[in-house]
Amino acid sequence: MRPVAISVDPPEVSRDLARKAGYTFTILSDPQLDAIRRYQVLHASGGPDGHDIARPAEFLVDSSGTVRWTNFTEDIRVRARADEMLAAARSIPSQREP
Amino acid sequence: MSASTVSTSAVKERRNNSAVWLGLILAVVSLLSQGLFFLKVPGQNTLPWLSLALATVAVILVLLGVKRAFFESQLYRGKVAGSIITVVSLLLFAMTLFGFVTARKIPGTASAPQVGQKAPDFTLADTNGQNISLADLLSTPVGNAHPKAVLLVFYRGYW
Repeated sequence: MRPVAISVDPPEVSRDLARKAGYTFTILSDPQLDAIRRYQVLHASGGPDGHDIARPAEFLVDSSGTVRWTNFTEDIRVRARADEMLAAARSIPSQREP
Repeated sequence: MSASTVSTSAVKERRNNSAVWLGLILAVVSLLSQGLFFLKVPGQNTLPWLSLALATVAVILVLLGVKRAFFESQLYRGKVAGSIITVVSLLLFAMTLFGFVTARKIPGTASAPQVGQKAPDFTLADTNGQNISLADLLSTPVGNAHPKAVLLVFYRGYW
C-alpha cells in the first residue's frame, strides 16, 4: 500500500516537514484546492487566518482506481489509527503476476 | 429524643466539603484527558463525549458542594474555597466545552466519493515540485511490484 498525504501546504513546507519528521512517503501540495474540491473535503475558512483547507479524510483507492475504504472523522482530534488503515488495505486481494 | 439530637449536632465538627474538591479534580482531569488523543489510544471516538460528561459531572459536584457550604453551613465547610473552586471549575468547563465544539465544527462528507465509486483523478506537485497524477501513484512501482492500493490522506496542513 502506498500512503500519500495531501494538504494545501506548498512543496517547500512539506519538504521541511518530511525532513524533520523523517517521513519517506509521498506528500503532495494542493494550494489551489483542486484535488480537495474533487474529493469534496474542503473546509472553507477552516485554517489559520480563515484560509481554506482540507478537512481530515482518508480514501483507500485500489489499483483499478476504485474507492475501497473511507474514513471521515467528526472530530479533528480523533485520527485514524495505523492498524485500521492497514486492516482496510489488507482486505484488498493482491493481484498475482501472470 | 429531640434534645439529644440537637446537642449532638452542635458538638459535631463540620465536614470537609468533599464534593467541591472532587468536582475540581474531575474538571482538571476532563481537560487533561484531551492529551489522550495524542497517545492514539483505541476507542477515540468516545473520548470527546467522555471529556464532556466528566466536565459536566464536575460542575454538578462543585455546585452541589457550594450549595452545601452556603445552605447547610452548620454541616459543611468551604464557603471561601467553594466559591473560588466554583469559578475555576466553571472556567475549566467552558474550556472543555469550547474545545469540544471547535474540534467538531467540520463540514460533512455526504458528497465525497464513497466506497465502490471511482476515485477522482488529480495532478499535484510533490515535495520536489514534480507533477504526480493519481494514475502515476497507482502505477509507479513500490519495490518491484505495483502498489495494490494507494491511501490518500487529506490533512489540514499549516504544520
